[in-house]
Order: sequence, then C-alpha cells, then structure tokens
Amino acid sequence: MTATGTTIHAPAPAPAVEAVGLRKRFGKIQAVDGVDLALAPGRIYGLLGPNGSGKTTLIRMLAGLARATGGEARILGTRMPSRPMLARIGYMPQAEALYPELSVGENLGFFASLLGRQDRGAIDAVLDLVELRDRKGTPALELSGGMRRRLSLACTLVHEPEVIFLDEPTVGVDPALRVQFWAHFRRLAASGTTILVASHVMDEADRCDELVFMRDGRVIGRGTGAELRERAGTTELEAAFLVLSGLDAYGNPGGGAPTSGGGQANGGGQASGGAA
Amino acid sequence: MSPRRILAIARRIAQGFRRDERTLGLMFVVPLVVTALLGWVLSEQVDEVVDVAVVNEAGQVGDRIVTALQDAATEPDSDIAVAAALGAGGVPEAEGMIRDGRADIGIVIPVDLLEKVLAGERPTLTVIAEGTDPAAETGRFGTLQAIMADVARELVPPGANPPVLPQVERRTIYLSVDASQADVLAPIFLGFFGYFFVFLLTGVSFLRERIGGTLERLLATPVTRFEIVTGYSLGFGTFATVQVIALTLFILNSVDVPAIGPLPPFSIGLGVDAVGSPLLAFVIALLLSLGAVNLGIFLSTFARTELQVIQFIPLVIVPQALLSGILWPVERLPEVLRAIANVLPLTYAVDGLREVMLKGADLTSGAVQTDLAVLGGIAVFFVVLASLTIKREVA
Repeated sequence: MTATGTTIHAPAPAPAVEAVGLRKRFGKIQAVDGVDLALAPGRIYGLLGPNGSGKTTLIRMLAGLARATGGEARILGTRMPSRPMLARIGYMPQAEALYPELSVGENLGFFASLLGRQDRGAIDAVLDLVELRDRKGTPALELSGGMRRRLSLACTLVHEPEVIFLDEPTVGVDPALRVQFWAHFRRLAASGTTILVASHVMDEADRCDELVFMRDGRVIGRGTGAELRERAGTTELEAAFLVLSGLDAYGNPGGGAPTSGGGQANGGGQASGGAA
Repeated sequence: MSPRRILAIARRIAQGFRRDERTLGLMFVVPLVVTALLGWVLSEQVDEVVDVAVVNEAGQVGDRIVTALQDAATEPDSDIAVAAALGAGGVPEAEGMIRDGRADIGIVIPVDLLEKVLAGERPTLTVIAEGTDPAAETGRFGTLQAIMADVARELVPPGANPPVLPQVERRTIYLSVDASQADVLAPIFLGFFGYFFVFLLTGVSFLRERIGGTLERLLATPVTRFEIVTGYSLGFGTFATVQVIALTLFILNSVDVPAIGPLPPFSIGLGVDAVGSPLLAFVIALLLSLGAVNLGIFLSTFARTELQVIQFIPLVIVPQALLSGILWPVERLPEVLRAIANVLPLTYAVDGLREVMLKGADLTSGAVQTDLAVLGGIAVFFVVLASLTIKREVA
C-alpha cells in the first residue's frame, strides 16, 4: 500500500498537488485557514473532517473552481486557477450534477466533449468501468441512485485525468458498489493518478494511502492511518481525529485524558497542528 | 474560444428538448393556438347592433327624429335597433332599460328642440349610457353619430334646403382599407411569443444548472463563461428560430378547411396581409430572442427555485407588454413611461416588425436600421451581463 509511483521518478517525485498557506475567506468566515499540502503522484489521499471543516472549499480551490484569498495552489507544477489545467483534472462534486433528461451516453458525451475527449472509445471504456454500458440510452432520470452516482464518477473520469478530486464520492452508495469504486481508485493510482477523496466516513479512511485530518479550516494531522492512531494513542481512527482536534477520545474539550495515552496524544496533536 | 465546446452546449440543450415533449409543445403549439385564438376573435368579431331607447320630450317635432331613427333601424345591415320610443317623462324608464340590459343607449330629445332650431342654434341631444365600458361606449356613440348625421336632415326648418353632407371615403397608405385588427397585431405575435418563451425556458434551464450542480461541473472543465453563454444562445436561438418560422408561416398563410360533419368550415392560419420581407421580420424576432436567452441567464441568478423564475414574468414581461407599443402607441405614453419604453427591447422589436410587416420597410429604412442596431446592442449587453453572472473565479 506504500508509494506505487516510484518507478516513474527515481528521486523524490515532484508533488502532483501542492498547497502553500492556502486560505479562503467568505465574508467573516475563514473557511480555509492556511493549509499546506504536498500530495505525491500515484497515491490516494483521504481528506477527513466533519461537515463544515473546509474540505469542499479546499478541494474547490485545488481544482481551480474557487480563487484563494491567500497562499497558492499548484497542480502538476501549474499555479491554480488555470483553465488549460482543468482538462487534466477530474472533479466529482458532492451533488449528482447530471442532466436528468439526458441519457447516460449523452451526459457522458457532453462532459467528454467539453474536456476534449469525444471519441466513442473513451466513452465506452469508462461506461464499461462503471458497468453502465447497457444503460447508455437510458435517461439519467430513470437510473437508480447508485447508477447515477456511477455515471457521475464516469463523467469525472472520462478524460483520463492525472489528478482527481472526489468530494464524498460514496455518499448513498451501497457497500458492494463502494468496494468496486475503491478497487477502481486503486487501479487508477497504480497507473500514476493522484487521488484526493474527501469524506466524513472514517471507515473509508483505511483504504487511503495517507490521510489528512481537517478541522475548522486547518490541517490538524497528516500521515497513514497507523501513524495517526499511534500519534493520538488510540486504536480507532475516529478517536484519533478527536484527540488530534484537541478533544479527548469522547469528544469532550481537552482536560483529563481518559485513555492511557491521552496526555501524550494531546502533545502530539499540538505538535502536528503546528507542523501542518 | 472553442467552437467544439459551444456546439457541445448547444447540442446538449437540443437533446434535452427532444426528451421533453411538454416543453416542445409549449414552445410551438401554445403560440400557434394563442395566435389563432386572437386572430379569430379580432378578425371575426360580430358587429354589434346598438339598442336605443328614445325619449321624446319635444312632442310632434321630436316625432320626426324618432321616425327617422326607426327608418334607419329598419334598413338592412343597420347598426342600430330602436328598443323603445318613449314620450315625455320617459327618462327614468329609459334608464331602467339600460340598467336591466334591454337597451344600450338612451337618447333624450329635449323640450326646447323646436325653439333652438328656429333660433338657428344647435339643439342638445342627451345620450345616456351605462358608463362601465368606455371603449365600447365610444364605439356605440360613433355609430349613433353617423346615423344622427342622416337624421339631422329632419331638423332643417321648414322651407329651407336640407344641407348637402359630403360622403366620406377611406383610403389607406399601407394595409388595405378593410384590414382587421388581427392584421395589425400579427407582427407583434411574432416578437412577443419568441421573447416570452425563450426567456422563461432559459431562465428555468439555467437555474437548474445552478442548483443541480451541473454548472459547477461545467466550470470544472476548460469551458469559458463566454462559451457557455454563446452555447446557450445558439441552442435556444435555434429553437426560437424554428418557432419564429412556424409562427411566420402560420400568420402569413391560411388554409381553408371545409365543413366536416357538425363543424363549420374554418381556416388554419391567419392569412394576414403583410407587405414586407418575412426574412427581415425574422431577423428582428431572432435578435430579440437572443436578448431574451441572456436575460433569462442573468435573472436566473436572482432566483432560487423554478417558481421564482415564474415570478419574473409579471416583473419583466408584463410591463414590456404594456409599454412597448403593443396596446398603446409609445408616443402617447406619459413622458416618464415613454423614457422607460425607450429602453425596453420589445419596444424596438414591435416597432421594427410593424415597419417591416405593415409598411413594407426594408434595410434602407432609417427606422428599421435603428431598431436592428438597438436590438443588436441590447443582445450584446445581455450576453456580457449573463457571462458576468456566471461565477467563475477562474477567468
């Protein structure tokens, strides 16, 4: 599960996604408050945090949909927002974002032609991938929720992007399909694609190579699942998140740590907060 | 700018239409039905016969007028009928007849009729009407005056020669003398329907892009705002084009359908008298629709639901219908309203379409040039406005 993209570059590969002191303010609300990130190519990153922690805003800035109010974001070495770079990025929004009256093939064909990939081969290949080829002529309206989710993913992948941002891709997706999605993400990563998945479902986190914990617009911890658990001194990732947030493992503010590693965890939390 | 992406957006709109029969129906069937209905009402309105209750307060002299009115009423195709001829003191009864609908108008022949005529003065006849429908009553009053001109001969003092009244003959410069109201309104149908439907459909369609997340997904591709707006204009413009062509054919042509069973014979199409180039009329209607597409995109920013787009109709469409010269000429509006009318796109479209279709104006006409230039300018203005409302922080 460790770095699979090593065959491409012998020395430490240049990061595919980079954020330096990235900030976004909406009026009085500081949605993203100074995020530094460097995501290596060919790896899957999980962006975890509660609702309202700034995950979507961070992804929108990285994907070139929102302009940062401070700091900068780079994709494949190009400073974002950059319009030409958008053709090399895949973005799956939280909403379904499909045209309900259009068929599966028409929806996919539309986004494909905007992304510069019109050939039938690419469309059929991605339809095979999400197992919707036999539904090509069905209007999106008549698909089940899971199928629409698959179509939405297909629209994100049709142009074979090098960097993919997925905002809660498995919300409302049944377990079997979720397994398929992850298997596919893994295949993409193996071919050198960098993937950042935002989620608030902790049980998906272990499928990622590395995790980024976010809270109140800041990165409060980074590392593999095992590293984060160890640093927080907890066995559960959820508890690790709470501890790294400066809370105890039950979500109570600071103070007397109920777990044996509590004091140590608090210290670790502060250290990682400072480093982030 | 990439033509491929513009075409992709236009094609997407067409594909959406193809699967939405109701909207297609709305765009094509509704304008035709409404136009047919209006045309039918306006061109075949049944001539009204005015029922008159005469009150003669002047005795024998007045009887001559009453008889003359009765004679006029018995002529074939007469526009009046004498519902009652009442004697002195009959005013309350005449008023009662008007109240309960047995008469439309009451005429009171005054007591001092003979006195005035002998003194060479003009006697005053009083006309009583309901006073609830000024337009219709003005029409009835006109009918009555025409008849009174003939009746006036009866008022000539005995022994004098009756005056010779000239006959009036109508001649017209543009449409034929017996052009109907439908002929005059036909050009407006062309402009108005395109404007209304295109505005409504783009407004709703773009709102769906915003709330459904597809706009977000669009903006995550290398498409530019200008390409989106142009694609929309092209997509909806194509539909507006087909709509305007259908309406033009319907308005200009007429196919007679013979009686089938219990149905009376009728005709499909208005067969309106139009003199100018249909192509030029079409260009005017199209420019107007392009403005409407982008106005729809612009206003969709201010709506959160489809119902709120519908709420823009009374705000955007109705004032234009009232002020753009469809019902009342722009020149006769109060000054403030005229200033407003002068910035409304529909004003220029209505004027241009009238110039072309009623007066046969072509591109050499200054009025048509102005209308085209202003409509083009408004379309460009809304294109820019619409692209600015598509929030892309990317460029």
